[in-house]
Amino acid sequence: MSDDRSERNLLKLEKAISYLLISGVVVSLILEVLGIALYYHTYGRLAFSESKTVLIQGTNYFTFFLNLFHTESTGGKGIYLMTLGIAILILTPYLRVVLSVVYFARDRNIKYVLITLFVLILLTLSLTIT
Amino acid sequence: MLDMLSLLLIALPVGFLGALTGLGGASILVPLLVTLGVPVKEAIASGMVTIIATSSGAASSTVREGIANVKVAMYLELFTTVGAIVGATITTQIAPVYLYFFFAFFLMTSFLKFHGSKAKDPALSENQDSLSRWLELHGSYYDGFFQRNVEYRVTHALPGGLGMFIAGLAAGMLGIGAGAFKVTVQESILKLPPKVASTTSNFIIGMTALAGTSIYFASGLLNLTLMGPLAVGTTLGAVIGGRILNRLGNRTLRLLFFVIILFLIIQMLYKGVRSL
Repeated sequence: MSDDRSERNLLKLEKAISYLLISGVVVSLILEVLGIALYYHTYGRLAFSESKTVLIQGTNYFTFFLNLFHTESTGGKGIYLMTLGIAILILTPYLRVVLSVVYFARDRNIKYVLITLFVLILLTLSLTIT
Repeated sequence: MLDMLSLLLIALPVGFLGALTGLGGASILVPLLVTLGVPVKEAIASGMVTIIATSSGAASSTVREGIANVKVAMYLELFTTVGAIVGATITTQIAPVYLYFFFAFFLMTSFLKFHGSKAKDPALSENQDSLSRWLELHGSYYDGFFQRNVEYRVTHALPGGLGMFIAGLAAGMLGIGAGAFKVTVQESILKLPPKVASTTSNFIIGMTALAGTSIYFASGLLNLTLMGPLAVGTTLGAVIGGRILNRLGNRTLRLLFFVIILFLIIQMLYKGVRSL
């Protein structure tokens, strides 16, 4: 029956979410560690800084993410890797919502498509408008 | 002077203690950073990003094991994400002095966590309201302590959701997970079994933190030299803390918890009064 199918689909979703979350976190933390090491290699120090190059500002998340792949970083490779790590970390829960919408749509569970879609639209707007 | 290595080393025991006490990393981290001289708003914004890592890392296993309830989480995220966006917007607008007092006040709600989370056999609730039933909010998991499958049904989905809006608001405003508050709402209003409540709360925290982060993103408060080492340190600490959690006695944990919270409340009040 369809209940059985939904149950199996939910298990698949749980598995997919689990892999997505752990991959996102591991990749971003590795990038942070490499970034910090390279930062030290470039600047010879690890001081907490308030300079413009270490502050993310003035752009929305999606533009920022795309720019990472075709503009040169101003602060050197270390800062670039740290930025990329944070960008991937932020993307992880976002992709988790996208994944959920897709799974519930395949399951034809309209209620949960609407619930997850609402969260997805809200986050997309909030990451775009600011 | 603060540097990234010392931030990482500070974050390690913070993540460790956060996992041990169930308090999460950021509610310890943010006041600690403030004490060390980091501007309060930057500490809050970085705390928010940091908990995406700790929450996602921990949720990865509890979701796969079927303890955290994905549907309950997604329903409640409707409320926490809206709350976090409103909360974070408030923080970017108001004077920092209020944040110290809000933080101290909210830390006090952490004491709620120790009410009603005794290890009693969770009973299946009889009356499920129509909204909770319509939303398919029920589930089951295998409880290692009672060595059996525990079935449960969620009740009071609407008031529970409103409680989660408040949790999201506080989380977004203060850059924390507000885990203790979330767990209390889930146990006492939604009637989730304690293990499902704490793991589902942790799962939701990642999404709430993303909503808060989305506001902080363009505000110029996200500092790479803070976020990087903090995310690495707290997550590693939390992994180690989660592993030894079962070996520590309840009394030791409780004492540790009270001492830490009390210290942080005093710190934030002191900072607040000094900046008046």
